[in-house]
Amino acid sequence: MMSVGQPAWEVVTVADRAEYWLESHWYFAVAYMILAVLAVAAMVVALGMGLIYGERKIAAHFQCRMGPMRVGYHGILQSIADTIKLLLKEDIVPERADKVLHLVGPFLTLVVTILILGVLPYSPLLQLADVSLGVLYLTALSGLSVLGLLLGGWSSNNKWSLLGGMRAAAQVISYEITATLALLVVTMFAGTLTLSGIVQSQAQGWWVWRAHGVGLLSMGLFMIAATAEINRTPFDIPEGESELTGGFHTEYSGLRFAFFFLAEFINMFVVAGITVTLFLGGWMPLRIGNWETFNNLMGLIPPSLWFLGKVVVMVFVLMWFRWTFPRMRVDQLMRLEWKFLLPIGFINLFAAAVIILCKWYFFPV
Amino acid sequence: MTEFQQIERKQITFGGKPVPVAVVHPLDRASKAPSVLKGLVRGMRLTLGYFLRPWKVVTRQYPENRQTLRFPQRYRAMLTMIHDSQGFHRCTACKLCEKACPNGSIRVITQKGLLEGVNKLDQYIWRMDSCLLCNACVQACPFGALKMTHSFENAVYDRRLLVYNLNRYAGPPAKVLAAEPDTAKRRQMMEPRGRFDGPLPLNEGLKPVLAKTQESPVRETSA
Repeated sequence: MMSVGQPAWEVVTVADRAEYWLESHWYFAVAYMILAVLAVAAMVVALGMGLIYGERKIAAHFQCRMGPMRVGYHGILQSIADTIKLLLKEDIVPERADKVLHLVGPFLTLVVTILILGVLPYSPLLQLADVSLGVLYLTALSGLSVLGLLLGGWSSNNKWSLLGGMRAAAQVISYEITATLALLVVTMFAGTLTLSGIVQSQAQGWWVWRAHGVGLLSMGLFMIAATAEINRTPFDIPEGESELTGGFHTEYSGLRFAFFFLAEFINMFVVAGITVTLFLGGWMPLRIGNWETFNNLMGLIPPSLWFLGKVVVMVFVLMWFRWTFPRMRVDQLMRLEWKFLLPIGFINLFAAAVIILCKWYFFPV
Repeated sequence: MTEFQQIERKQITFGGKPVPVAVVHPLDRASKAPSVLKGLVRGMRLTLGYFLRPWKVVTRQYPENRQTLRFPQRYRAMLTMIHDSQGFHRCTACKLCEKACPNGSIRVITQKGLLEGVNKLDQYIWRMDSCLLCNACVQACPFGALKMTHSFENAVYDRRLLVYNLNRYAGPPAKVLAAEPDTAKRRQMMEPRGRFDGPLPLNEGLKPVLAKTQESPVRETSA
């Protein structure tokens, strides 16, 4: 659903470029593929280090502390030192653990995260692949991510790990519903499942305000559900240290633990990215209907910067949640989902349908 | 309010007889949602307030800020005997501090005065290794001869270096000395005592050898 009377934001993905070269010069296509893989790998490393440093610093300042200060200027190199330490650490596998699954668990968790990184639209020209069932793909993958935690907890042969894994599974399955209901609202408004299509549909305004309250509510629902799905405080009961020592990663050390850790932090970026793409216009600048001058002014800032800025804000909000709210109990968690969020989600979906039918939202197409 | 209290049990009179009934309030919990949200928002405002005021950080970068260290007024790290500008202390060797000490970390050794014929201080032994820094000795002292100072860098490699002799000279307190007009006589009444002149409990009483850097292991800071 392209907006009418707006400059066309033509999306060219890396996959498109590769496909273009496939017929004439197939090695260009291969080069693009390798480039994409390298870019994602570099992104994983950079994001992991940057987010860990950011989280430590921000958490510290939320608590009147300073965080890392010793390694480099204001501890900038701390993440690098930690990475080297984790790489050199001994990789301990429990004697009676399921060796294969113990390895597959963290690997799967990280792979799922990377797969989502591949479809996020960073800018019209910077997207690895535009899956035609984008939203469905996201939903499927976030359901799959719990499998890694469950495998890790199961294979460790440790009661705490098992409990942590089970809790993660129960939690993610529950909150998946709310997250999907929130995603459905945007899908209905945008009329498409592709992520770049959803971004393009927000050329006249981001869905968070254009959808008359429904958008704001579904964004709130999605943020809560997504925080639960990536197991961050206040929903971090799968690894609740006070109850389960370390939860699903009790028996993990060295590089395998680093995988879990990395996936957890990149998931934060992924969740922020999805929220931004669906509700805050992705790389789309702040545009309001047909206010030509305003739109042109906003268009001066390149789309990739818009995406980055919005993601940074959302990541900060996630961290803000984490360092403010106390952890919930298991029963409180389930009650919140099944008794509050789920009914609200359904009512919200219904209201969205009514709003779309009656064209009550701003700038209806 | 727990979940079960949504059902209120009470009795009504029906036909002259009390009948137990259950009144259900399903929306009671839901009506609490705004206050819950308000609490969450208040918490987030508080943490953001901390975040936006980096000058309120309580962390001190210790080794770097040694020159500008600030202590709370009642911070206690090291028991010290107060010596005035002329080097006189006020201890009369009454041993009240020794009695007040819960750990027996203080030992006051007295000597018979040669000139004035009363008990006076010989050695004031304070064992830091067993001290609680509870301040009971300072409070017990009727003459204000003791105080707690802020010098906290007391780590040493030899345990024996934690047994201190607090008085710098053996002899009568400042009041007695001040009454004596003759300087030469005053000198006679005083006998110098060093920091580690106390008993050395370990290593068969051998005196520990101070390394060059440990020559003054106690860094005196102004109170």
